[in-house]
Amino acid sequence: MVGTIFLVIALAFSILAMVMYYLSFKGYKNTLNYARISYHGMVLFIIAASTLLWYALINHQYQYNYVFSYSNNSLDTGFLIASFWGGQQGSFMLWLLLTAIVGVILQSYTSKRKELEPQVMAVFTIATSFLLVMVSPWFKNPFEFIWATPMFLEMKSINPQYLELPFLQQFFFTDNSSGTGFIQMNSQLHGLLAGSGISVNQFIADGKGLNPQLLNFWMQIHPPILFVGFAMATVPFAFALGALMKNDYKEWVRQAFPWLLAGMGVLGLGIMLGGYWAYEMLGWGGYWAWDPVENSSLIPWIVGVAGIHTLLVQRKSQSKGGIGRFAKTNLILCVLTYVLVLYSTFLTRSGVLGDASVHSFVDPGNIVYFFLLLFTGTFLILGLGAIVYRWKWLSDNTQTDEGLLSRELALFTAAVVLLASGLIILVGTSAPIFGQSVDTFFYNEMNLPIAIIIGLLNGLSLLIKWRNTKTEDLLKKSLPSLSIALLISVLIVVLGGIDEILIMLLAFSMAFSLVVNTEIAIKIIRGNKKMLGAYVAHIGIALFILGVIGSSVNSQQVDVDLVKNESVSAFGYEMTFTGWMPIDNNTKYSFNIDVKKGDSEYKVRPVMYVSDFNNSLMRIPAILTLPSQDLYISPLGYDEAKHNHSTDGTKISLKKGSSTEFNGVNITFTKFHLGEGTMAAMQEGKDFQMGALISIEKDGKVEEIELLRKQISGKIEFTSFVSEEFDINLKLANLTADNVEIALSKMSKVAEERIEEKQEVLYVSASIKPFISFVWIGVAVMVIGFFISVMRRLQETLSG
Amino acid sequence: MKNKYMFGGIIIVVFLGIMIYLFTQSNIQYQDDFTQVMNTTKTVKATGSWVKEKSYHQDKQNKTFSFYMVDDNGNEMKVVYNGSIPNNFETATSVVVTGKYVNGYFHAKDILTKCPSKYEDERVQTSTL
Repeated sequence: MVGTIFLVIALAFSILAMVMYYLSFKGYKNTLNYARISYHGMVLFIIAASTLLWYALINHQYQYNYVFSYSNNSLDTGFLIASFWGGQQGSFMLWLLLTAIVGVILQSYTSKRKELEPQVMAVFTIATSFLLVMVSPWFKNPFEFIWATPMFLEMKSINPQYLELPFLQQFFFTDNSSGTGFIQMNSQLHGLLAGSGISVNQFIADGKGLNPQLLNFWMQIHPPILFVGFAMATVPFAFALGALMKNDYKEWVRQAFPWLLAGMGVLGLGIMLGGYWAYEMLGWGGYWAWDPVENSSLIPWIVGVAGIHTLLVQRKSQSKGGIGRFAKTNLILCVLTYVLVLYSTFLTRSGVLGDASVHSFVDPGNIVYFFLLLFTGTFLILGLGAIVYRWKWLSDNTQTDEGLLSRELALFTAAVVLLASGLIILVGTSAPIFGQSVDTFFYNEMNLPIAIIIGLLNGLSLLIKWRNTKTEDLLKKSLPSLSIALLISVLIVVLGGIDEILIMLLAFSMAFSLVVNTEIAIKIIRGNKKMLGAYVAHIGIALFILGVIGSSVNSQQVDVDLVKNESVSAFGYEMTFTGWMPIDNNTKYSFNIDVKKGDSEYKVRPVMYVSDFNNSLMRIPAILTLPSQDLYISPLGYDEAKHNHSTDGTKISLKKGSSTEFNGVNITFTKFHLGEGTMAAMQEGKDFQMGALISIEKDGKVEEIELLRKQISGKIEFTSFVSEEFDINLKLANLTADNVEIALSKMSKVAEERIEEKQEVLYVSASIKPFISFVWIGVAVMVIGFFISVMRRLQETLSG
Repeated sequence: MKNKYMFGGIIIVVFLGIMIYLFTQSNIQYQDDFTQVMNTTKTVKATGSWVKEKSYHQDKQNKTFSFYMVDDNGNEMKVVYNGSIPNNFETATSVVVTGKYVNGYFHAKDILTKCPSKYEDERVQTSTL
């Protein structure tokens, strides 16, 4: 309840801040302080509400629907904290919290820079207001009580001491198809419980818990980082719309630039951490599967990155006094980056991707669908509408004098090519809204030529100068890099066995980009290190794409059956399954596989378990990371060994002289039979045999048989007796001083018994992913590059 | 100036042309009517529910996983997937399979399982009071 009130107060503060900031922008003198107080008041209440939600999760306050639905008693603290964003309500809450905090930094940033604060914060608070409406009691409120909407609770969630309560009878329900029992929790039951002095929190003993697919280390890291990226994408939008309000297009470019860089750096990191998580999970199709949910966060990133390139041109061309080139383009791109973030949220949370994605949330209800549509639509119309309204002020009057070989044009082309890629992904990802869908080859085929052009531009644009370059100069300058790049790509093509022309070209273009950027980076590193950003980021991209080529073109996969203690070799690795052990309090099973490659030995441990959450078998792959490649072992299944008896058979133990009956056959153990010299042989440790004389009788027919225990060179063997007439199979299992153990089965079951006598087998699928480490290293390098640039551009915002 | 726009225009038209062509080539329709699924040779995304009563079968020799699916009109078809049982399959109520129907069964190259969220309506009160 308190949490809800906090959020409503925060909403009021947010709207107040928006109005006050707008009035300050309009020239009112006394309103700025009120605006600031309101904004910080909003932030405090959002932080307080978030703290309450965390407190409720950590203390298992199951009276909240959200706490009950996304956490349980067995989660450790890390996952309890992460269950904050396990469901829709909480992930909106996280987005809101991070946006509010980003706003605090933005407020302080803009207040120090040329009266930008009112216009930027007035726009920014529109976004916080929308998010606050989203988590308000009318939509996705995380503080909704469990009885607010009738809900079925499984019996295991209920504290057993209250199951006898007489009034509880009328709340029992059964699922007809499965026969499981439920208790319907509603406001009436809440009232009755309260009347008996029982709190709902006592009544419910345990929550549903987190989906086992989310019980992964990266659950604690990936969503917050992605949402920081989403939150930061709000800032360039606010700068752009603020500039349009003021009708002043010079300053915002410089001030928004570091924000856009930082936002895209964080968003890129967040996206690829998600990729790494997907790589570690089965069934998500590797680090990038062109899943609509993955795509939907990539699209704003691509558009934002395109914006970085054109923003750079506008900054540079402003030196001539005008507003600079691409003023319209930059406003549009900054608006679109945030609108596409909102669109991404719409796609993943409105339920439209329900049938199309492995990650999306299902069925949030119609109101949320329309609210998200309204949210996205409002920002799109506000942004683009303002641009259209100011269109005639947005022309750059300065003379353009750059030629075909200018860095300006190269950067613009880069932006256009990036946008083309964004459009492709947008079209494919939006198709499910219209009941369509595209195969992943659509994305691959379309983006491949684009990636080639990007690689070439990536290198070329750095070799050509601002404004114009002479063709001969360019040729002279690019010759050494071109030849080195050619050498590298020939090496990649030959060693990797690449036979597709386009992939060869891609390898070449990326090698070219890598060489040029590295060359310049090495030159700069001795001088001004702040200038390194762009080159480092581009080196990262090139490494990343080379990793993508390596890991996808030469990835191989094979299914192997690992019989216990027998080694199997695949891709030059010798794998031996050595047995399993229970882990995590006997809830999971870890399968030990020894892997040998050359002289090196490794141990890998895939895990399988049956999850309580959904009664499903969950499989966790093991990844052996080596410098040149990953060995990826995913468990498929496991067969237990059956020790000498089939499921239909039994094992009996008979004392000398006693008898038993099996399948209508009387079995009597009459006596031991020791041959001459057996005792002597036993004592001397030589080979020997002992027999058990057994008589079997069925329908008056009697047969005397002898089962033997043989010891040959230290190995013990038992003999068996099979009779069609008696429909029986006897196999000696053990012989001790005064009794025998015999495995019995029907004759007709013998064949099956033999099969089931096989040993323990672990079925795995093994694959190798060459150079996949380049994918991760590439992204890490790229993100570092982004932040070097942020440092440099941040400094520039204060000068002049 | 005019040339610039001409050049840009041509590139955009060519790009859109290629995109539309590839889109239609790679387009996969959703289909919730299995009689349609069985009568087409195209790859489709068939949506329906898993027939729990018929269970599922995992063939360790051929590394295939098979089960039966039914659509809203009660049409049943066998689905064979080259691979192992997907995580979460046991509790899945509705299933989306991508592939085509050939030689009497559906060859799935991808299985997407959806977890129950709306089956609560089917529950009935058992109290006698």
